[in-house]
Amino acid sequence: MGHGRRLVLAFTSFALAGVPAAAQGAVTVLYDDQVIDIERTLADPNDLWVVPEDLPRVNRFELKPEGACLDELCVPVVQDRDSEMFVTRGGQPWFNVTALARRLEQAYVADHDRGIWSFGQIPVTRTGFLGSAIAPDFELPNRQGTMVRLSDFRGKKVLVVTWASW
Amino acid sequence: MRGETATAEWHDQAELTYTTLIDTTHRVTSLYNLTNVPSGILVDESGRVRRIDDGAYSGALQIGDASIGAHDYRPIVRDWVARGENSEYLWTSDEMVERIRRRTPDQARAEPSFKLGVYLYGQGDVVLARTYWERAQALAPDSWNFHRQDWNLTEGLAGPKLLEKLGALDEPFYAPLDLRGQGDTAPR
Repeated sequence: MGHGRRLVLAFTSFALAGVPAAAQGAVTVLYDDQVIDIERTLADPNDLWVVPEDLPRVNRFELKPEGACLDELCVPVVQDRDSEMFVTRGGQPWFNVTALARRLEQAYVADHDRGIWSFGQIPVTRTGFLGSAIAPDFELPNRQGTMVRLSDFRGKKVLVVTWASW
Repeated sequence: MRGETATAEWHDQAELTYTTLIDTTHRVTSLYNLTNVPSGILVDESGRVRRIDDGAYSGALQIGDASIGAHDYRPIVRDWVARGENSEYLWTSDEMVERIRRRTPDQARAEPSFKLGVYLYGQGDVVLARTYWERAQALAPDSWNFHRQDWNLTEGLAGPKLLEKLGALDEPFYAPLDLRGQGDTAPR
């Protein structure tokens, strides 16, 4: 909650008496090569806050009582009061996606003018590849637009060649 | 990006017997910590990587004064197909893990910048796209893909720029292929 947010709040008509209000705006999130449009965010010059219901769409995490969880991975989140990753404004809970990224040492970059947040990979989810050479699965379209996964070829030998026309 | 447009005519006439997929955001490069194209990866029946980061050329190419690629990769693939687990070209699981490229923190930060550039380019904002690509190139100067994608989008720039950067290299364009099956038994 930096100075920038207070500045924004001065111009919003959303303020409720006695409650720090939330200016809101739509952003675009780039995550795992998906483009995700998020309608509601908490205005913050430094961080991306989304409503918990949007969290799975953003990064597949889910906010549970034990924390923000992705499969077996759970990051504890204080939720009974405002914390680094969780605040309530006007009765609406908000989750800090970028604070979670920092906790997980996940790189990200934002273009604030255009409201775009781009995220890298979460290192801890990469141990299968880096530690055991398990081929990361991917899904890409062919010329006809049909999506094909690497794992569709399980049981066969696969030669993957990346190529470009440059 | 633009690869499909540039090659569709030839691709469709070739009636290929293998699967071709379109990867406009460089997803495979990103997931497998690659830095250049072509790069070859062998994935076995159980979904494990058995070799990675090979310069997967079908032969040697002469580009200007530079010679790129070698005839040596095809025999590696053929041997693996014919002999499976008995192929001497396969790396052990320990070697495999050792050879997967690790990203430095700066290289990790280059990824989302590059992807942001790709997105902005797709939105028609070429100038801003280039800003983020240049940031990615500065963070990960060894990634050829970050440079080459950028150069490729200016007509006539990709060839000369590649030659210029190749000329300034103090190491091989690709690490030499590991050809232990042909008698070189020393680990690289």
